[in-house]
This record gives sequence, structure tokens and C-alpha cells, in this order.
Amino acid sequence: MTRLHPFTLLAIAGALPALAWILPAPVGGLATAVVALALTLTPGASPGSTNTVTAVSPGSRPGLVVFRTALLTAAPFWLFLLLLHDLPTTIAIGLRVTTMVASFVWVVGALPPPRLVEAMVAAGWSASVAYVFAATLAAAPVLRARARRIADAQRCRGLSARGGLAHRLRALWALALPLILSALHEVDERALALETRRLVPGARRTSLSPPPDRGAERLARWGLVAACAAALGWRLR
Amino acid sequence: MTRLILERVTFRYPATEAPALEDVSLEVKGGEVVALVGSVGAGASTLLLVAGDLAPRVVGGRLEGRVSFDGDGPRAIVLPTPWTQLSGMAFTVWDEVAFGPANLGLPRDEISRQVDQAVVRLDLEALTSRDPTTLSGGELQRVIVAGILAMRPALLLLDEPTAELDPVGARTLWKLVRTLAGEGTAIVVATSELDALPAITDRVVWLERGRVAATGPAALLASDALVVANMGTTVAAVWRAAGLPPPYPLTVAHAAQRWERR
Amino acid sequence: MTAALRLDGVSFSYGAVQVLADVSLALAPGERVALLGRNGAGKSTLVRLVTGLARPAAGTVWVGDWDTRDHSPDVLARRVGSVFQHADQQLFARTLEDDVAFGPRALGFERSDVAGRVARALDALELGAQAREHPYDLPPALRKLAALAGALALEPALLVLDEPTAGLDRALRARVTRALLERAGRAGAGGGGAALLVITHDLTFAAELLDRALVLDRGRLACDESLAGLLGAAARLETLGLLRPPVAELSTALDLPGRPIRAADAARVLARVAGGRADP
Repeated sequence: MTRLHPFTLLAIAGALPALAWILPAPVGGLATAVVALALTLTPGASPGSTNTVTAVSPGSRPGLVVFRTALLTAAPFWLFLLLLHDLPTTIAIGLRVTTMVASFVWVVGALPPPRLVEAMVAAGWSASVAYVFAATLAAAPVLRARARRIADAQRCRGLSARGGLAHRLRALWALALPLILSALHEVDERALALETRRLVPGARRTSLSPPPDRGAERLARWGLVAACAAALGWRLR
Repeated sequence: MTRLILERVTFRYPATEAPALEDVSLEVKGGEVVALVGSVGAGASTLLLVAGDLAPRVVGGRLEGRVSFDGDGPRAIVLPTPWTQLSGMAFTVWDEVAFGPANLGLPRDEISRQVDQAVVRLDLEALTSRDPTTLSGGELQRVIVAGILAMRPALLLLDEPTAELDPVGARTLWKLVRTLAGEGTAIVVATSELDALPAITDRVVWLERGRVAATGPAALLASDALVVANMGTTVAAVWRAAGLPPPYPLTVAHAAQRWERR
Repeated sequence: MTAALRLDGVSFSYGAVQVLADVSLALAPGERVALLGRNGAGKSTLVRLVTGLARPAAGTVWVGDWDTRDHSPDVLARRVGSVFQHADQQLFARTLEDDVAFGPRALGFERSDVAGRVARALDALELGAQAREHPYDLPPALRKLAALAGALALEPALLVLDEPTAGLDRALRARVTRALLERAGRAGAGGGGAALLVITHDLTFAAELLDRALVLDRGRLACDESLAGLLGAAARLETLGLLRPPVAELSTALDLPGRPIRAADAARVLARVAGGRADP
């Protein structure tokens, strides 16, 4: 999986939800949801940080993390749908939403920002545009690490998450707010750092190790687009 | 020949009336190391941003006076907090160091050479294939410095470059500063590690509330004015506190010499 | 008397990497101790064990008479006030004094008690003028001091600090030294002064504030002796990744009697020797 070109990964992540909505429910949604969830179980679904001593939390099996995240994120939608609709509609829409969520979660895990940036730059995109895409994907691990640090610090100041709802909400505030404030506060410094290293609009960046783009993959990508178009055409006639 | 000139520069941050820098003049040539000393908020960081063409261009604000730069390479700044300077676009330390040179559009073999040299200079050979987000603060700081050095700046601006380093790491970095100056780089460094300065700096600029309070050779760090303001070397401060007369010794070596002669 | 902190044969590993191996040490109430060593020697891990954020794989960590395994970090906060690196990122309240009040409030102290603690903590660090400011309107250096004030406001029996002077200028470092000397001398919980365990690379700061040195080397306790004794031996310092600070170097170079390691002591001895004839 990780040896596929970044654009191919994006194409798959885009085609699956598209097909989920285009193809007739519930079969179409079921098929694409199954494929998307299966992707979250593939070994390449999450960049294994084998270098990080602190990333290993006891009791987690890396292979299932992405899968679990996908299910946990989709769950509230199912609940919401169940409250509003009858069972067939819930299943039809629920499967489509599950496909969307699973595809997104999978691609965020399987596509590390550096590879995407390299691919975009190699394809001729401007470096700063590529960066905007990459920064969106990269934000999560940085914030996750900081969130852990802030949580540690607040716990050592007496913050306990036990207790009633009001108490838990206050605890969440003490964790979320410093995270957001410090992240926002750093935006300026990050911009300065990128500027000094010459990441400016219109910069023509040298590509360091562009991921290989095999002809077969390019064909497959266009094939996916064609398949979606064909499906759409078939549904609309 | 690299040359940076600030002529009577006054700078105000956006929506701020009080100037962060007032009537500051400074000239730095290639091969010189100039140290900026002063308390927090005195303007050292701001001065580095102005020198690095980030203020007012990126930061905003108003600048009066003149800033001119001539050099056979870029000017680049190393900011005080390493983790905010990670590109977020590199898999490995090697790629992170190559980020700047790649943005300059240099050919790949030149990038390779410059990155390899920077890696060796900052003792990062063992870390080149590590994921940058897994590094410790000290390792990260060295990677950021390497990333700037790989751009072969003609003017190197450093803001507290040893904040995250242990004493041995700091000593290595200061020696590197001297080496780079020897190769013709113009260097301006803001630091509160005053005791490290006599060995590496040619000139000291003391900033107080945005103004240049004093400027002179490294021996300025042993002058009465700076020692009284707690901006002198520790040795000079102890000498003065002992009631011994000026001129105060700058370093332990000077003190030992004076002691023998008494 | 129960030790403020005691480690009995403590070991800890991150996955396959052993970070601490069979470490034993004890801090008496009110003792001021430096925790030194190269980056990666295990210092921050030791702090995590003391605060209860991690559990020892072997051995026991005692904070007073509490085994850290029996209490969560928020409960241990009653006895251990800690400030980690980059503490300037943990602030979130609308004003500085609100943030400093966070800890005491979380521990459930009465409002008047909280107000008193906050006032004393801000006073100790001379932050009174900034009490009503928004933390992010202040430079990171002052935010760091605010985080330290937050720990002081807990008025714990043990203070554990990780690089408290990183990023601070001379004047602010002196402020921290004064505040901690005062705190260690005062009554903490239990009537003794607060014990201090400080991780630092700043040996000048260590010399001014702390008496004893614990040096970690690759997860083992390589030294446990007086700081003055440690700073006297230059060769040994280098093998541990440390460098002798200026005052200690000056003492040796000038052969000052008593080999003072603090600036004020060195000045006094220097004055005496320079003013008098031969060495007393």
C-alpha cells in the first residue's frame, strides 16, 4: 500500500466515497464501506513510528488503531441517523457515511505529508500550495504529542478527569484551551521559520526523492475516475 | 564581501505605539561575529528579525531608517524554539536539513553536498534517517541549525541557539560559530550565555529597551556599566563584588594572570 | 524522619530501551538537590516516575510515605509540585493569577486559602505587576515564571523542576533562585522547608541554589555527593557530559581557600585574600 503513488492513494480515497453515493444503496454503500474498512486494516494504514519511544502506549495494537478510529468516528453518525430515520434509510446513508469516514481516516494515516508534498512538487505544483495540503495532514501528530504533554502538566497540578459531567467539562477545557492557544500562538513563528527557509509563494522547489509514478498506476487512477463517471452516467439515465 | 548595515532603524510592531527598536545603527561584515545582549524584551530578537528581512516584510509593523544587505548568499535566521521551525514536510532528518536548499531550487547534487557537510558539522550523522518528530529538544535544535547552514547563508542570525543544548553541546555550537566566521560568514547572535561570548565574539552590542546602550569589543562584558547592569561575565562580576578595582578581568584566564602579578 | 523522596532500586524501560537501571536515592525534607547528566541519561524519566505519570518497572518510588503506584498524579500533586520543560505552553486562564490559582483550586482548597497561596507565589517571583495580564500577552520567559508560580502555589513538600531557567535571562534566573531559596527555607507541608529536585544544565544556577548533586549516566546513578565536591573535579565532570561553571573554575585557578562555588562566597573570599597577606 505504501508503495503506491500518493496521487493513487488520493484517487482511491476519493473514488470510494464517490462510488458509495453513486451506486444504488444499500449494496453499493456496503461494498465500498467494506473496501474502505478493509483498507484501514492494511499494514500501511498508519506510518508506524518505531522510532518513538513515547508513542507506544500500553495495550494498543498498532494494526487496529486506524480501524478503531474509523469505527469510533462513524458511530455517532449512525446514532444520529437512527434517531431521525427508519431502518432502511439509516442503513443506506450510514454505510455511505462510513465509507467517507473510513476513506478519510485511512488516507490521513497512509499518506504522510512529506510524500504528498514531494509528489505534488514533482508534478509541478508550487511548493507553498503543496505545503497547505501537507500541513493539514501533519497537524495531528504534532498536536497529539503536545496534548499529551499538556495533559501531564495539568494532571500534576491536580486536574482529575473523574467526577460529574461539569467537572469533566472543566477538565476538558483545561486541556483543550492551552493546546489551542499555544498552537495559535505559534502560527506566526512557524510562518517566519518557513519564510527564512525560503518556502515562498511561487517557489520552484527541487524535488528530493520523488515517488515513482508507474504507468500502470496512472492508468489505474484514470480508470477509477472513468469508473465513477460511468457509474454516474448509468444511474442518471 | 558580505555586509549588513542598519542605519538609525526604528521599528514598531503592528498596532503598537512604543517602538521595539529605536535609532539602532549596526554594521556587520563577513567574517565578524556580533553578539546582542540585553534583558528579555530589550529588542535583540526584533533586531534579528529586521536583519533577516522578516520584519516588517512578514511580521508587519513600521520601519524607519535604512537596512541594506549585500552578500554572496542568503540571510537566514535560527529562531529560539526549535519545534516551531520543523517544516512538517520531511520524513527524515536528512530531508529536513535539505528543506531549505531544496526551496532555493539548487540542483540535487549540490543539495547533497551541502546537507552532508551540515550534518557532519552538527554531529547528526547517527540521526539522518530518524523521523524529525521523534527527536529530543537538543537534537532538534541541532537539526534546525544544520538546516539553516545547509543553505550556505552569507549572514547567519541566531536567537538563543544553545537554549536546548547541554553544556557540551553548547560548547560545540559556539566553536562552530567561530569556524563559520573564519569561513567568511557574517554572524549576529542574541544570547544570555554571557560567559561563552569572550571566546567567540568580536563585538558586543548591549540593547536596553530597544536602544543601543553600549557597543564595543568583547571586553565590554567586563566594563563597569555592563557588570553593574548584570550584563557582564561572571568573573568580572565576582571581581567587582570583591571590591577589587577596575579594569575587571573578562575570563578566568585573565583573572589568573592578574592574580599572579599581584 | 521520613524522606521527602526516596527511590529504592528503581528501574524503568521504554519498550526495549532501559532508561533507568537500579537507581536508589533519598532526599531529606528541605534538601536542595541537582539532578544532572547528559541529555538522554534518564533525568526526565525519573521526574515522570516521581510525579506518578509513570510507574517503575522494578523498585519503589516513595513521596513521603506514599508509594507512587498507589496514587494518581493529581493526588500526588498534594505533595509534589512539578514544572516540566516548555511549561509556557500549559497556561490557559484569562489572567496570570487565575492560572496560578488553577492548581490550588483543583486540589480543593478554600477560596481565601487559594487567594493567599496565589498572592504568596506571585510575590515570591515578583510577578505582582503582571497578575491581571493574559498569559499570552507576556513573553514566554514570564510565562515560564507563571508556571513556576503555579507549582509554588501548591505549597508542596517537594518541588521537582525540569530546566527551570531555560530561556531566562540573568535577571530572571536570579529571581527564580531567590524565590526557590525562600521557598526551601519556609514552612512547607509538614513544617519543614520544601525539598527541591532540579534538573538543570545551568551549573551556575545550580551552584547558587543547590547543595547536593545526583548525576545520571546512561540510566545509572553515577554520583551522589555535594555539589561543591563534584564541581571541584574538572576531569570527572567532562566524562559525565558536564562543564565546570565560571565561579568554580575561578576558585580553582586562583586557589581560593574553601573553593567556593557561589558568586557571593567567591567574592568574599577573594576580597579577604586580596586584602589580607598570605592565605589565612
